[in-house]
Amino acid sequence: MLVETMMTKQVVALDSTMPIGDVTALMEQRHIRHFPIVDEGELVGIVSDRDLRTVGSEHPKAKVGVSFKDEVAKIMNAPVITAHPRDPIEEAAKVLCENKIGAMPVVQEGELIGIVTAVDFLRELTTMTGVRASSTRLEVELDNAPGSLAALLASIASHNVGVSSILSTKQDAETVSFVLRVDTIDGRGLADALRSSGFNVLWPQVKQKL
Amino acid sequence: MADYAFVYNPGLSDYELSDSHPFKPVRLELTKSLLEAAGLLLPQHIRSPHPTDEKHLLRLHDAGFVRAVKAVSRGEDAPDAYSYGLGTGDNPIFPNMHKAIMGVCSATVTAVDLVASGRAQRAVNLSGGLHHAHAAQASGFCLYNDLALGIEHAMLEYGMRVAYVDIDAHHGDGVQGLFYDQDNIMTISLHESGRYLFPGTGHTYEVGKDAGRGLSVNMPLEPYTEDASYLEAFEAVVPTALRRFKPDLIVLQAGADMHYFDPLADLKLTVAGMARSYERMSELADELCEGRLVATGGGGYDPYRTVPRAWALLWAAVSRQTMPTELPKSWLEGWQNASPVDLPTELHDNTETWNPTPRRADIESHNRAVVKRLMNALEPIWEEQFG
Repeated sequence: MLVETMMTKQVVALDSTMPIGDVTALMEQRHIRHFPIVDEGELVGIVSDRDLRTVGSEHPKAKVGVSFKDEVAKIMNAPVITAHPRDPIEEAAKVLCENKIGAMPVVQEGELIGIVTAVDFLRELTTMTGVRASSTRLEVELDNAPGSLAALLASIASHNVGVSSILSTKQDAETVSFVLRVDTIDGRGLADALRSSGFNVLWPQVKQKL
Repeated sequence: MADYAFVYNPGLSDYELSDSHPFKPVRLELTKSLLEAAGLLLPQHIRSPHPTDEKHLLRLHDAGFVRAVKAVSRGEDAPDAYSYGLGTGDNPIFPNMHKAIMGVCSATVTAVDLVASGRAQRAVNLSGGLHHAHAAQASGFCLYNDLALGIEHAMLEYGMRVAYVDIDAHHGDGVQGLFYDQDNIMTISLHESGRYLFPGTGHTYEVGKDAGRGLSVNMPLEPYTEDASYLEAFEAVVPTALRRFKPDLIVLQAGADMHYFDPLADLKLTVAGMARSYERMSELADELCEGRLVATGGGGYDPYRTVPRAWALLWAAVSRQTMPTELPKSWLEGWQNASPVDLPTELHDNTETWNPTPRRADIESHNRAVVKRLMNALEPIWEEQFG
């Protein structure tokens, strides 16, 4: 998946000469936490709610001598870390994490075309790991070898059960684990059948023999 | 005696999805014969279902879906069958399935009608409880949603406010989904968390929308939850929600798969814990809606050892009777040969043979945290809706 599919396209960009007090008012009014700053069509900085909230305070990170009447250029962050619309989202997410920032303007051919925030990534993640169809969680540890996942899927298919999502949860030299959502209510029945075919099913667990 | 109705005819067992399928209608006969042997079920309790008109079915279910079910029932091909969830491992196609499921639906509507009209104070349909059926999708062994049909009947024909309480181990997704944006119907489901169990939904943040906002209540429980923690969560959520909503009728889906012996789910209740929840529902019906209560079956995949004991206790609670603690010899002798496992001779579980639960304190603490999260989400909405 690419950044262009999840970015916010209606981005509110500001002029670097705008007074900080007006930017703060706009932030509260529109519930926006990150404003790209654009002068004559060119992205020149970004300002976040954190930068705005320290203005005029005795916070250690507050810039000395800056007041609400000053231009936002005085507190904006530059240069700006940006994303490209064709960046894979996992790569963009990694840039956010490594730079400990909350948002990135999306720029194409020098033009600001959108913004992605950490919340956008969380939303995508909850969709990816979420439940899209009535299904049961199945967790299986496989040999880390070509064809082992194919063998698992073939075995699941032989029980007339469909698969609605697959996530890989951990991997080492010998093994790789997958969490699948399978479209049956009888997850334990399927797990027992897979176990008897030699698969190491981690969930559902075996029940106590009574 | 006329106050309590047990809706039954032998045709209700025709909803058998296949010979080897985990959903076993023999549970009905096992329970009925247990109650008769124990003297709790008398001929005057038994009522035959009145056939329900198919036009009522189409108020809730998609016409294309119903057409596909009828076609495959006659042995014809329906090209869109698989997209309606028909012909899967869970919902195989079998001859006359439309007629079989209509029988189950009629029995639940009959149970609701008996209670709503005042001809009975309470009624039970153990063949019903198919809570996973969606408007256009068979799912989780369920074809049509008998519960939603019964609820709709009480709402439309009698103008009642209906509270639906679902204690099956699985989330009551079908019923919740069919009424998610409606007022006059509250759905409450206690279930093993969707993170671990089918169908995957039933999170605390599913609270209903539009006119139905605050009227969907979901309490997901940790796997291996035991009686004490289950009943603590039940007590914290169910009475509060019902008292806020003030129903005219309570419909209880009493799936019996939260028991430790159930092969499909992972909760760890005893039949005593289950019976306590039935008794609480009976008390709440008395407190809030002049005793009016309709109970159905649902899940329950340990059909010989567990379901008959649980559902006998359900009928006992509904009909204000007491089950003997020893199971009748005649019943044991009648069924032992058919049962693949040794039948228990006592009504209650001997938990001394059960493995202790690792992480019990973690499970209890997590359930408590989820109750808190749920009530924190719902209380402000209820305050706004009901004052």
